[in-house]
Amino acid sequence: MYDDFASPWNIRLKWAYLLAVVFALLMPVFYTIGISFNQHGFGARIYEFTFDWYRVVLGDTLLVVSLKWTLYLALATIAATIPMALLSAKFYKRTRRKVGFVALMLSPLFVPADIMGSSLLVFFKNLARGFAWLGDALGVSWFDGWFDLGFLTAVIGQVIYTHPYAFIVILITMSRYRVQQTEAARACGATAWQAFWHVEFPQIRVGVFSSCAFVTILSFNEAVRTALLKGGFDTFSNMLVAQMLNIGMSGESYAMAGIMSIVSMLVIGTVIVYTLVRAERLERRARAMAEPVMSS
Amino acid sequence: MSPSPARRGRELPAPPARWRQLFGENGIQRWVFYIPVVFFVLFFAAPMTLTVVWSVFERTQFWMEPGFTLFAYDNFFTSARAENYLYSMLHAAASVLISFVIGFPIAVFIRRRVTRAAQHRVILLFILPFMISELVRVFAMRPVLGRNGVVNSVLMDLGILSEPITSILYSPLGVIIGDVMSFLPFMIFAGFLALEAVQNYVFEVCDDLGTGRVRLFTDIVLPLAAPGIFAGSVFIFVNSMGVALVPTLLGGPGAVNAGLIANQAIVALDFPLAMAISTIMIFTLVLLLYIGHRLFDLTKILEPIS
Repeated sequence: MYDDFASPWNIRLKWAYLLAVVFALLMPVFYTIGISFNQHGFGARIYEFTFDWYRVVLGDTLLVVSLKWTLYLALATIAATIPMALLSAKFYKRTRRKVGFVALMLSPLFVPADIMGSSLLVFFKNLARGFAWLGDALGVSWFDGWFDLGFLTAVIGQVIYTHPYAFIVILITMSRYRVQQTEAARACGATAWQAFWHVEFPQIRVGVFSSCAFVTILSFNEAVRTALLKGGFDTFSNMLVAQMLNIGMSGESYAMAGIMSIVSMLVIGTVIVYTLVRAERLERRARAMAEPVMSS
Repeated sequence: MSPSPARRGRELPAPPARWRQLFGENGIQRWVFYIPVVFFVLFFAAPMTLTVVWSVFERTQFWMEPGFTLFAYDNFFTSARAENYLYSMLHAAASVLISFVIGFPIAVFIRRRVTRAAQHRVILLFILPFMISELVRVFAMRPVLGRNGVVNSVLMDLGILSEPITSILYSPLGVIIGDVMSFLPFMIFAGFLALEAVQNYVFEVCDDLGTGRVRLFTDIVLPLAAPGIFAGSVFIFVNSMGVALVPTLLGGPGAVNAGLIANQAIVALDFPLAMAISTIMIFTLVLLLYIGHRLFDLTKILEPIS
């Protein structure tokens, strides 16, 4: 038998190891952010703090336009993914064929971006040709342009990519919800929608908003599928890849990487802090309710 | 939970009859839950399945036409691509092994030694790096691992090296480090999720019986966490093989993996070859998941949230 708590150094060492791994995972990102604020860029012996590289990025019309496209793409992805993830989680709870359903929903996690992107690219090109042929056969122009590579195909690619994450987050939140509450609401005469909206949703709201944040970040960061499916516009991450491969590691590239990291950390940091504060508040409330009533 | 009309005991307004008929449980509501299934069958399962069909199509100058030829597979297996594919499998296996050695003890530590209330908070520490763009994380490895990077500078300042190591970046080692840094958190999440399903009394019984660390790990922890370890390993293995970004940015001129080979085929407008590579990749993935499910029942991972 062994006991970590009998030897405080044992447990301290394990904590140190855990934090060292977190540090190792984050250090390159912070180092990159650090370089992005250096007037002299990477490898210089002198460090002079500046916002110049960020000014260059935000002053570049092409990059600002790509940022806008990234934002539109993220919004469209959220609008499609979150309701679908909610429906998937509800369906998972009620279906008897859980294995097949969950395999279908989570499989995109295991298909690498380049492979999925290539398959979808060929699929959409064939679909577009099929609709064009159908239009010709029927003598109408209504089907022209359906599933041509563009915003819609990029959104579909991103929904397939982000949906499994949103589904898992919502499912985790739903696992704490007791279905008897819905049954009670229904017994009191509420419709299925009313029971969901007034009883269930307030309790899973945190999970839904967290998945909104995750989907935003995943969509903002995605580069490969979008590059293959986007058609005529560029997203911010696509521009960064092009910059890295064509120009190399310039101060501008570091600033672009810095923007992507800072946005991700701000959004996820907010979710984490909110989750921790809320958990603390709920715990305090539960403790207060569990305390015996003191006679005055 | 915020106060709602239902909770305050007020009567909810009854929806009109026509509304009830259309949007009620026998109307749209009955079918609305099938939307994700239809979407994923149409835009995920169908393209993945059709990949097999397209891989045997005839190549034309800019596209492909229906037919049956195994030329793309012949082209793949009789060229250096097959060798590169096998090398990328080897690198992916190394990444899985390193991720397991580094990440799984963390999952065990969090599950066993951190209080129940704090476990999810500690896991959140690993969400942050995982949520920063993979592109940025891989890109960030270049100034760290490069000739003038942090690793070389620190080792030289400490007097451990007299001149910088140049073989870390733009080499297979750089690719493996990039893969581990990119996918390590997934091993921790999957391992933790699998261990979360194990009740505390299992460990308490082992402690009471005086089970040694090695035996506890090999006979209790490993078998119970096997579905999670397997899922994490498959994720890392398949992504190490299929994400072209890592060899492109960290591997140098000769480095390739399955994803990069498929990308190069698309750029060369050889769509049947790209589809053949995707088919081989998907077949590898399905085979791994099937074996894993037969051996470990992968649905056990979802038990804590079911």
